[in-house]
Amino acid sequence: MVITPDFDSRPVISFQHVWKTYSNGTDALNDICLTVPEGDFVFLVGPSGAGKSSLVRLLIREEKPTRGRLFVHGRELTHLRRRHLPRFRRTIGLVFQDFKLLPRMTVHENVAFALRTLGESRRSTGRQASAALNTVGLAGMERQYPDELSGGEQQRVAIARALVHRPRLFIADEPTGNLDPATAWEIMEIFLRINAAGVTVVMATHNREIVDLMRRRVVAIERGQIIRDDRSGKYHEALPAPALRAY
Amino acid sequence: MKLCRHLLFALISAWQNFWRNLGVSVGAVVSIALILVLAGTSLLLGHALGQVLDTYRQRVSVLTISVADGTPLSSVYDFQGQLEARPDVVEVHFLTKEEELSRFAADPRNRQLIEQVEGNPIPAKIEVSVGHLDDVRQIDALARQWRGADRTDPTDYQGDFIANMLRLSTWITIGGLGMLAILTVASIVIVMNTIRTAAYHRRREIEVMKLVGASEWFVRGPFVVEGVMTGVIAASLALGLLLAAYRPLVDRLQTELFFLPLSYDPRFVDVLAKDLLIGGAALGALGSYVGVRRFVRL
Repeated sequence: MVITPDFDSRPVISFQHVWKTYSNGTDALNDICLTVPEGDFVFLVGPSGAGKSSLVRLLIREEKPTRGRLFVHGRELTHLRRRHLPRFRRTIGLVFQDFKLLPRMTVHENVAFALRTLGESRRSTGRQASAALNTVGLAGMERQYPDELSGGEQQRVAIARALVHRPRLFIADEPTGNLDPATAWEIMEIFLRINAAGVTVVMATHNREIVDLMRRRVVAIERGQIIRDDRSGKYHEALPAPALRAY
Repeated sequence: MKLCRHLLFALISAWQNFWRNLGVSVGAVVSIALILVLAGTSLLLGHALGQVLDTYRQRVSVLTISVADGTPLSSVYDFQGQLEARPDVVEVHFLTKEEELSRFAADPRNRQLIEQVEGNPIPAKIEVSVGHLDDVRQIDALARQWRGADRTDPTDYQGDFIANMLRLSTWITIGGLGMLAILTVASIVIVMNTIRTAAYHRRREIEVMKLVGASEWFVRGPFVVEGVMTGVIAASLALGLLLAAYRPLVDRLQTELFFLPLSYDPRFVDVLAKDLLIGGAALGALGSYVGVRRFVRL
């Protein structure tokens, strides 16, 4: 089931003329205006260094915009105090290309760890972690360690860890970057299921097959600017001819 | 309940981390223990010096005025009354020539001398006890102006010696505080670097904690606990070494430097233990807090 995004409702993400210049003078983002409604599935595409990761870093408030306003869940991130950051980050599910799993912890412990940081009881974290692992199809692998798993399985653990907070927004930075095409598809199916449950998904990716086949919203970024925003786009269309050669 | 779980997590993580980086942890414990031994030694020396000074202070707070032979008793009593009226004087005691002679003769070392002299060459004395050491000089000046005072040797007290000792004590205190400040900074730097190494080893875990929404204190807690743990273990080690050395050293000094009024003070052991353990814990907490601040910033 595909949920149609409600473009008239209050957006989950709203970039309003956002600029980002790093301290070394690099202009990462220039005048970004982007609105993502609840339930949307957005692919961020563009060549390396285009500004996709900067955009993700702004969304999770690892960085602050140099200029402009950025709202997530109606909260302006520019003015978000540091002590409110943990609570804000618990509303977002984050998945990365390198999985970011803790090698000394089992699969179950990795997922439960996200809840333990909130001070939840061991019994409660255990139950919720098991449910999240079940959702990503890893039931029965709880006692294994990350280095005993394949890349796809490790990414599933990372997704389960992101899911365990029951976030309303999922941000994934190149989640299929380290995976073979078949495994990448399995991971995308999980993301589709998450989106079908009404969760907004923003995914930065270089995987053109997936973008072309899924026909979801595509936001193309180049040299820190949005050059195209298609509601049902393809990877190639998002790029002007000279940039294509960079891929 | 949540706080308890966070504390438990911090304790377990700190303990695990201490053992995982055992080499670095032991290095830090030994370095800080040595620094605390130095600090504890300076505290012990300061205490011993204080003991010596206190004894001397009690001794010199009594000023003895020699009364010139032939001074009328009425003049002595007048002066005694004058002294007793002063607020800085605690007690005044008059000893006649005979009393002084019998006190002198009571000392076996003076027996031979007494047998050789004729009559009573010992002058009568007025012993004045003062409340504060600083007041002795004023009484001394007053006694020297009194006509009844023996001109050849009017008063007797070790004022200059004590003044010099007090000056020395002040300088030793200043020097000790300076040394303590340097040692404190050195300890903080050692803890800071140890905890930074630990934080570097656990940077991935820290990154994950930040991403899943852990608060800064949740991330920082285990490192601060580890710092406190390092400080307390080092302080216990230093305390053990100091206590093992304290009594034998005092016994030895009592034999070698018998003229110094030194003694083993069990009450100071409690003070030393408290100071070292609290100091060690505080150094550990401060060093780790500063050391890990940059790593845990969200």
